[in-house]
Amino acid sequence: MIIVKDLHKKFEDTHVLRGVNYHVHKGEKVVVIGPSGSGKSTFLRCLNLLEKPTSGEIWFDGELITDPKADIDRIRAHMGMVFQNFNLFNNLSIMDNITLAPVKLRLMSKEEAGENALKLLARVGLKEKADAYPSQLSGGQKQRIAIVRSLAMNPRVMLFDEPTSALDPEMVGEVLDVMKELAESGMTMVVVTHEMGFAREVGTRVLFMDEGVIMEENEPGEFFGNPGCERLRDFLSKVL
Amino acid sequence: MDMQAWWERVCGMFEAAFITGDRWKLYIGGLGITMEIAFFAAVLGLIIGTVTALMKLSVKKNGKKTIWSRIANAYIDIIRGTPSVLQLMIMWFIIMKSCKQEVLVAVLSFGINSGAYVAEIVRAGILAVDKGQTEAGRSLGLSGAQTMIYIVIPQAIKNVLPPIGNEFIVLLKETAIVGYVGLTDLTRVANQVSSRTYEAFMPLIGAAVIYFVIIKILTILLDRLERRLRKSDNR
Repeated sequence: MIIVKDLHKKFEDTHVLRGVNYHVHKGEKVVVIGPSGSGKSTFLRCLNLLEKPTSGEIWFDGELITDPKADIDRIRAHMGMVFQNFNLFNNLSIMDNITLAPVKLRLMSKEEAGENALKLLARVGLKEKADAYPSQLSGGQKQRIAIVRSLAMNPRVMLFDEPTSALDPEMVGEVLDVMKELAESGMTMVVVTHEMGFAREVGTRVLFMDEGVIMEENEPGEFFGNPGCERLRDFLSKVL
Repeated sequence: MDMQAWWERVCGMFEAAFITGDRWKLYIGGLGITMEIAFFAAVLGLIIGTVTALMKLSVKKNGKKTIWSRIANAYIDIIRGTPSVLQLMIMWFIIMKSCKQEVLVAVLSFGINSGAYVAEIVRAGILAVDKGQTEAGRSLGLSGAQTMIYIVIPQAIKNVLPPIGNEFIVLLKETAIVGYVGLTDLTRVANQVSSRTYEAFMPLIGAAVIYFVIIKILTILLDRLERRLRKSDNR
């Protein structure tokens, strides 16, 4: 579904990604872990071109999206993204946050989008917040809404950039529960996170990134039970 | 000098400055010119400023500045780097030499001048909106323009309201220089009356009070607008 070939990204004078190769298959839940500064967030942001790769290729459903001629807005409409800082639109109600993109991109009428939004809100238990504004919600509620906003576009893949890192500890669970439910529904997911429990329980593949490359990748049992490289053993001993 | 004589003198000055020969009509006429120029220049400045800010913020796909951005920069540099009196005189005596409509020339000159300052205010207001808002918009498949129109600009308006109000106030007072090209605005009326009556106190203080009251009203209106925008946003 997503094929990444020899991806490099340089900022000014730092070489953040140094040749990343990976293939995400349909229905997989790929969890990316690694120390901060390892390039894992940059890797994720390159997948929907929020960061422009310096070199390398990214293919999405058979289309070369790193091609300068690719219609990136249309491609992004099929890739949901959830951010660490939620990034709900502060000037819009929850309902408008969810329906803005589907309506403006003419994928649905306003009525359809509204109905769909209420259905999705009910799924995450926030139906009564439809008319609230982002500033009136807790962090956990905001992040659940952010997930709903992405789902309203019917994406083929969902990208999560440290979705629980900015949350108070007691709110992490409610967001992870929504993500688990989403995983069970068969959504293809790429998740950058520090939640090792989530990686073990939900992930179908786990990647360890360090120094701008994927150092190790495996299915979760083997990944955590029998880590191959020294760096990963060292990392796991610190976080587990 | 006893109290009564002093009072009579003040009344006499007042009469000479405002009543004799229906002079109060001159002030009203002057105020009309001042307000007309300030209003239309503010509208023009807002339009030019917003367009210029968007031009200055435009970037090519490779992250380099566009030609539009360079043009905007040059315009802002030139306008901010020269005195507005000089700009007005250049507009009147050189660029629009053949145009005999003083008010139109003044509106253009002040509008173009104000636009440069408004451009920087609007640019700062847009940059102050969290980058994450733009990223979220783009990640949903909205275009750069759609993200700007539906998400960034509505939030930027709240940011820019106080400095824009400030700019309007500066602009209103700045129009006092139109006397240089022969327009009879409020300041020039005060000047003319004082040279007619050989008494500067009443006309000048009177004009100052009129400016003050107008700007006070403007300030109150802007405060109300700001409060209303904040309320509707629940922030």
